[in-house]
Amino acid sequence: MKLFSYLSLGLMVVVLFATAGGLPVLFDKNSPAAVNVSPRYIEESHRETGSPNFVTAVLADYRGYDTLGETTVIFTAGVAAVLLLRTGRKNGDDSGVDGE
Amino acid sequence: MIQLYLQTGILILMVITGVAALLVDDLLAAIILFSAFSFFAVLIYLTLGAPDVAFTEAVVGVVSTTFFIIALNGLRRRCSK
Amino acid sequence: MNRRFGSVVLDTAFRYLVPFILVYAVYVLIHGEDSPGGGFQAGALFGIAIVLEHLVHGDKAFLKIPGTWAVAVAGGGALFYGLIGLFCILSGGNMLQYGMLPLMQDVVERHVLGILGIEIGVTICVMATIVAIFNALTGREDLL
Repeated sequence: MKLFSYLSLGLMVVVLFATAGGLPVLFDKNSPAAVNVSPRYIEESHRETGSPNFVTAVLADYRGYDTLGETTVIFTAGVAAVLLLRTGRKNGDDSGVDGE
Repeated sequence: MIQLYLQTGILILMVITGVAALLVDDLLAAIILFSAFSFFAVLIYLTLGAPDVAFTEAVVGVVSTTFFIIALNGLRRRCSK
Repeated sequence: MNRRFGSVVLDTAFRYLVPFILVYAVYVLIHGEDSPGGGFQAGALFGIAIVLEHLVHGDKAFLKIPGTWAVAVAGGGALFYGLIGLFCILSGGNMLQYGMLPLMQDVVERHVLGILGIEIGVTICVMATIVAIFNALTGREDLL
């Protein structure tokens, strides 16, 4: 099992190093991420949303539904953490009652 | 060019602090190394030109460090009882 | 839970730090549309301020969201966000189309108010989530 994990780790390293050369250069205007939808945001977002900041315009206006989902994810994660911590504490407190 | 060297240095420091946080025995030292890792992540986001993400990472680093230290305090109290 | 968290230096430093963190959180929330920042960061700053206040002052803390109420407040924040979207639908637009909110005359002002509203929702959700996890970590949910 240990050999398998080391082998998969080595394979992962090889794949990452082999594909890192194909990444676009930083701040490249012709990279695939910058040619499709970014110019539209940069040119039109101030007129369409009235917001002076692209990030806010994208986060709250163009992708507002996405941000709603993100907020729900944060709430769900918090509820899950609270439930887990509470059950652990109750089992631990059975041995000795905490004098608060 | 200087930006490339800066990013390389920050990435090497990130790897060093991350591996050290995994390997160190003391839990408090691991927490502090993890917050150093988070700070280097903030620096790399700043050099990449994303101050929004850097701000979020800084705030999340502070929150997670606080939670880790509170949990460590509770662990110590429970163990010493 | 009235015992000290850290040394005298840490407690005094936190005591002076909390008001500045609160002011900065309000600045990040209100000014988040023009500068880096926004709902998530402001919520985390509010949460940190409340947690530090708890750590320094214990049960006599000025700011507190007691017990399991924190989870309810977090759900209320997410619900506030969803309600703004629903309100846009009810007033004849698409989901989260802030221009259709029946608040002001100017479309741009409606946009700004809508964005501020959803950021307040995110802020409340994140803040209350952090306080809820803190309450569960320190076993404070019995205070309800």
